[in-house]
Amino acid sequence: MDLGLVVYALNLAAIYALMAIGISILWSSVGMINMAHGATFAVSGYAAWIVTGAVKPAIVAAFGKTALASAVMAGALVGSALVAGALCGIVIYALAFLPIHDKPNYSVRALIITLALNIGTVQGLLYFFGPRNQGLPKIFGFGRWEIWGAKIRYDQAGAIIGAAVIMSLTLAWLRYSRRGLEVRAMMQNAEGAAYSGISRQVTALPILMLTGALAGMAAALLSQTIFVSPTSGVVPLMKGLTIALLGGLGSVPGAMIGALLIGFLEAIVGALPFLGQRYVMSATFGFIILVLIIRPRGIGGLLDDTRE
Amino acid sequence: MMKQKYYKVGRRAWEIKAKPDGLTERQRARVPFTRRHWFKWRDSHNPKTLERERVLADKKPLWWFIGLTLLLVITPFLPNSMISVASIFCIYAAINVLWTLIVGTAGIFSLATLAVVGVAGYFAAAANVYFGVPWPLMFVIGPIVGLIAGAILAAPSSRLDGLYYALLTMGVAEICRVFVVQLRALTSTNGAITQVDSFIPEAWFLQRPGLLLGFVGAFCLLLGALLVWRFVNSERLGLLLRAARGSREDESFCEAVGIDFRRARLQVFLISSAALGVVGAFYAMYYRSISPTIFSLDQLLLLFSMMVIGGLGRAEGAVIGAAIVTIIDKGMLELGPLRIILVAAIMLVVTIVAREGIAGAREQFRDFRKRKAGERRALRTNKGGEAMPEEAVDVLDKQELYYRRFNKRLRTRLKLLITPELLAEHKNDPLGHHSDALSRVLNYFRRGEMADKYVIMRLKNGEEIFCIMAVSGVRGMPPRVVDDKQYDALNDAYHAVFLLRVNDLLES
Repeated sequence: MDLGLVVYALNLAAIYALMAIGISILWSSVGMINMAHGATFAVSGYAAWIVTGAVKPAIVAAFGKTALASAVMAGALVGSALVAGALCGIVIYALAFLPIHDKPNYSVRALIITLALNIGTVQGLLYFFGPRNQGLPKIFGFGRWEIWGAKIRYDQAGAIIGAAVIMSLTLAWLRYSRRGLEVRAMMQNAEGAAYSGISRQVTALPILMLTGALAGMAAALLSQTIFVSPTSGVVPLMKGLTIALLGGLGSVPGAMIGALLIGFLEAIVGALPFLGQRYVMSATFGFIILVLIIRPRGIGGLLDDTRE
Repeated sequence: MMKQKYYKVGRRAWEIKAKPDGLTERQRARVPFTRRHWFKWRDSHNPKTLERERVLADKKPLWWFIGLTLLLVITPFLPNSMISVASIFCIYAAINVLWTLIVGTAGIFSLATLAVVGVAGYFAAAANVYFGVPWPLMFVIGPIVGLIAGAILAAPSSRLDGLYYALLTMGVAEICRVFVVQLRALTSTNGAITQVDSFIPEAWFLQRPGLLLGFVGAFCLLLGALLVWRFVNSERLGLLLRAARGSREDESFCEAVGIDFRRARLQVFLISSAALGVVGAFYAMYYRSISPTIFSLDQLLLLFSMMVIGGLGRAEGAVIGAAIVTIIDKGMLELGPLRIILVAAIMLVVTIVAREGIAGAREQFRDFRKRKAGERRALRTNKGGEAMPEEAVDVLDKQELYYRRFNKRLRTRLKLLITPELLAEHKNDPLGHHSDALSRVLNYFRRGEMADKYVIMRLKNGEEIFCIMAVSGVRGMPPRVVDDKQYDALNDAYHAVFLLRVNDLLES
């Protein structure tokens, strides 16, 4: 296996992990399967596209074509994607959580509402922007490094590093901040958290904003490799969901391991001459089905078993 | 006797009532070969007139009959495009009803419904096109394939939890799609099998008679699906599963009493998979072709939105949802992409507002109204009614409730009138002309109930010695002595009774 393949696999794994961790955290703390994660992804991509398109002349006028200009551009792109993702999180909170969180069938209804939001948003984007792909400015620039004979593109390296940074920031926030403590308490036992005075309503909002921002970050990073389109959120959503389930819903380390496994699996299947890109989806699902049949609660279930 | 006119008031649900003459024996038509009746009539008496009447206890069969008859009668008069919309509605509704059986009755969250339909359709179509099997045999091949596919899908269902199983079935659908698209024999048609023989003659295809024939076929399909639903959900299997539906505890309970709910679930899954196989064969025949879009996620989501809008787990919900979504998606083609947004918006609103979709809205509204009525009753009680809301429902004579309420309010007003001056006025002159306030208070006392009413007894004939007693209020029970005080003058006794009553009033 050459290094390029590893980097490609890591690239995929980084994006998938961003999506899967968001879904996983949301499920274990708020008890909601967020099907609107794909919509958040697409909306963030479009928001980044609009914002970068709007501020580009101003940046060019202010900084010219220097390194500073591209840094400001990168900031604008990532910032707008994060903000748009967080805003989407607020919308989901207002529609899919607040009205029904204390009503019967909450988890199924939340799933349905977010699914409806996803369908509606994708069709709305199609309606307003058309099915055309939009390219975002390349914040990492074009080019590649040569390391030990392998070619690593800047965007791949940027995506891996960016995702790693964001994920470690998230985990650090969860680990060390007061709010993060509350979120972790809810993830462990929602009822117990409620008894110790942690409000579900109050805590759900930052969680939804955080997971939305994670999806926005994934959109910003993936837009360096592929284009933004209304349906661009569907595949990341499916991957995120499957990986979150593969990792065992609610288990952050499980989701990370799952993302790595699937990333490598896809890279390898795509590179094999007799299988190729067409069979990537089938191979992924086949692998996940196999794992689920052997381990009905996913990888996280495995981890739980060892803990018990 | 003069015929009385009754007005509809109160919170009773409207009911369909028949008036039997009371002499003839009741004739109840039975469904052939079964002991079931067509309609659930129940005999009762009108509580006011005591006339015999017959109440339709379950109105659902009536609505089903009316709805399906309307569909059957109206469709032949519609334009061609609407006829095909009606047919598609019937096919989707049939799939949804069978899916509801899996999701609602069996409680298995499978998303491979369309995959089963597609696989069975593909096999049936391939048998017809490549092996020359005549079309009636497709209806045999379809369910067999469906059964096999169902058996394969059902194998892991008992091991996996809901969401994990849903993911697995979605994966199966995706694998099916990729497999079909990659088949070399079908690459020329993008994975579709065309030129399938059908019950619609080729010359009639897409012509009006062909469309009508297709509609009749689809309608029969829907009826068949509803029959399957009825036989599975409302008979033994459904009963077994209903015992195990609620929670883990219910499942443990079922195991303890010897209900093998896992086997029942598997059976339901297999039955509905076989039925879905029939739908698949019909699908291939109706379109005379079958394409990989049947495995696509969009199609699945469309069907899912139908179930959700109608109400998960109910046959009527599946049909109502199918009607709404099909009319929007297939009947309003001029709206373009707005259709799907509309469907999503309906889905969103219905799910936020309704507990169990549109089919459950009526029940939910009734619950809501009952709750509100209870709240209002409680509010009235706070304001001065004597009867607690729970008690009030059980008191048959509602006059009694209002009398108690009136009395309570009266007492609170009278309490305000009791002043030292009033007592002094009565002491001064127990009989005779009184002020307005005092006469009001005395009037209230005079109207008091017999039980515990105070009376004055002369202790010795001819002597002015009195004591106060309280009447028992029950025939044959003597009055009891209230206290051992004795009064020398009648007026003092009068005033003592007055004071006792004022005391009771202030304590109440």
